[in-house]
Amino acid sequence: MSWRYERCVAAHRLPIGVAQQAAVGQTVRAGDVVASGTSYGSAVRVGGARALGIGPGDLDRVMRVARDAEVQRGTIIARTGRRFARAVAAPIDGRIAHVRADGDFEVAPVVGTWTVRATLDGVVTRADASEVTIEGDAWALSGVAAYGPDAFGELTLGVDAPSDDLAPGRIDVRQRGRIIVGGSRSGAESIARAHACGITAVVSGAVPAGGLRSIYGEGVGAHGAPSREDAPTVLCLLGFGAARLPAQLWEPFVALNGRRAAIHVRSARLFVFAPADAVTVETEPALALAADWGSIAAV
Amino acid sequence: MRLALLAGHDPRHIAASRQIALGACADVVLSAGTERSASFVERAEAIREARPDVVLLVADDRGADHAVELAEALRLATVAQQPRPAVLVSTDERTHARVELSLGHAVEAFGDVRSADVRAAVVARLRAMARGASDARLRDEGIEQAARTLAASSSRSIAILDVTGTSTSLVVARADGTLIAAHVPLGVGEHADRVVARAGLDRVRRWIPRAIDAPALLERVFNRAHWPDVPATNSLALEIELALARECVSRVLAEATRAELPLAHAARHADTIACTGRLATWKPSQTALVALDALAPESASVIARETQDAPLAAGGTALEPLTLVAPVSVRRSATVHVTDATGTVDERVGRGAFVLLRTTGAVQLAGDGATRASSDPLSMGVIVDARGRPLELPPRDAERLPTIQRWYGALDALPSGDDA
Repeated sequence: MSWRYERCVAAHRLPIGVAQQAAVGQTVRAGDVVASGTSYGSAVRVGGARALGIGPGDLDRVMRVARDAEVQRGTIIARTGRRFARAVAAPIDGRIAHVRADGDFEVAPVVGTWTVRATLDGVVTRADASEVTIEGDAWALSGVAAYGPDAFGELTLGVDAPSDDLAPGRIDVRQRGRIIVGGSRSGAESIARAHACGITAVVSGAVPAGGLRSIYGEGVGAHGAPSREDAPTVLCLLGFGAARLPAQLWEPFVALNGRRAAIHVRSARLFVFAPADAVTVETEPALALAADWGSIAAV
Repeated sequence: MRLALLAGHDPRHIAASRQIALGACADVVLSAGTERSASFVERAEAIREARPDVVLLVADDRGADHAVELAEALRLATVAQQPRPAVLVSTDERTHARVELSLGHAVEAFGDVRSADVRAAVVARLRAMARGASDARLRDEGIEQAARTLAASSSRSIAILDVTGTSTSLVVARADGTLIAAHVPLGVGEHADRVVARAGLDRVRRWIPRAIDAPALLERVFNRAHWPDVPATNSLALEIELALARECVSRVLAEATRAELPLAHAARHADTIACTGRLATWKPSQTALVALDALAPESASVIARETQDAPLAAGGTALEPLTLVAPVSVRRSATVHVTDATGTVDERVGRGAFVLLRTTGAVQLAGDGATRASSDPLSMGVIVDARGRPLELPPRDAERLPTIQRWYGALDALPSGDDA
């Protein structure tokens, strides 16, 4: 594990209901919206091709709206004939969630919206209904696990030394919108307070596993838990319990303090957007698990 | 392999698809279709979230419409997934055609999964997918082959208990060729955190012979998951590993029972219990204690382990017999007669007793409430186990800790710093 300035790739998975997304080749900055869409309620099945007296393959020819269009109650979705017309109308306000193989429609009410934001400064290399992928250059640091939604903000040191714990008293609303770097340990109280103060994420050498359970629930595991919910974002760099950050990891944090940064939770990586010569990294830290498995230490 | 089971409402189909997952050591990331209240969109979102590598869709002719519903939800969820999940379908021909139409691409069809042969074919296909381009035999295949070979060569039933960092297997083979197997992606290394998530932290903690608070244990288990190859060089770490191994086996038994596999009964009555993988790397007494606690055999069994130079999964067939376990069912007290090269020892045991009788040479066992049994020379001796079945632990630490310590002490299995 080490800081590296390199070409990074970040894949952002999308939920169902994409309405708009960045185009392949588009340049984006971390925090930009790269996809947005709608969340659905229970869908209503509406007779389509059969009601119109056509085959499913002919449906596109007679549709009056796009396959994923938002519709209002009564909107004509498809229509055939002139003198003896047959039409299919939307029974509810919502969106066409799916066109079935037999030509029927699933029309679902819109119950919310979602957005997915870029975690890298770079170029969109893939964009489809399931994923948007971005490639770009950044300083990157991989952790062992990350929890919560992707996060963006200015990197800010929350401790004076790499062996310090992130104290709740060091956190206040003036740090809103920033990514705070804790030292060897950031407890559940600090993480919760940071979230309440609008801090976008906490990066720490270690996090107490019990604290993670109190924040993210009993089912949380050691390999991270990406989510889209309004929850704190935590990047755990070395392990669980306590882990003093070795100089090879801590000194770049000092040098990069104040720079724009983002956390890609699914891959448990911190990206910092700074020139390649902003930091000098010479060696990788040697790490070891304590004999009783309770902490991680540099050797 | 991330497997999604879309199995409809029929309990026999649900059980059959679970048996397939156990046979292929698949990580079941989603079981959908069984819930009657879920909407079309909810199912699609669940599939999108689970992002399976393989989908097993099971339905009979009465469930054809439901299967098509599931296929439509699957198409919506995986429309742009790269690579697209492989879809295996167990339906009648007509439903199969409708499912293919709904998905818009061809799928692999199998017969009725309620048939053992069809289940075996699906498991073989899943294993082929897990192997990918490699010719190497999977560990679970190796364990099953070893069980068949050992059962045939000894003409006795054998249960192989295999615990590794990422998987746990329990395979029972009989001399007549029958084989019951379950493989679960839970282990004492990289997948240690899954054991805690599935079994619960308290179930792991209950096996540790010292007081440890839940957060401290959880931290250690999580760290273990990221450092799976570090040997347990500390007594607490080793105790945690032993506790995790017990719960891994418990989960296999629980999953097998849920899938209606008669594995627990077969394993508890096997003539030999062979321990492999991480189980075989500990002190013999620790291996025996974990196997005994986790399986709780109900008839006399020889607990053996693989030799380090010829692992069973790699084709080895040599076993080192560790102990002959004599589960004794007593109300007040009973006498067990153990005969070895030095003569006969009559051991009077009371309810809850757990003792190790050191032996020399071949052993014969008889007595009140104990099954008659015999064995080749054993490295440990005979364990008389009158703790009762099912094995129950006191819920309160004040009673549980002395009980666990007594069991460890009886076999001289308490870890010390130089065990690893």
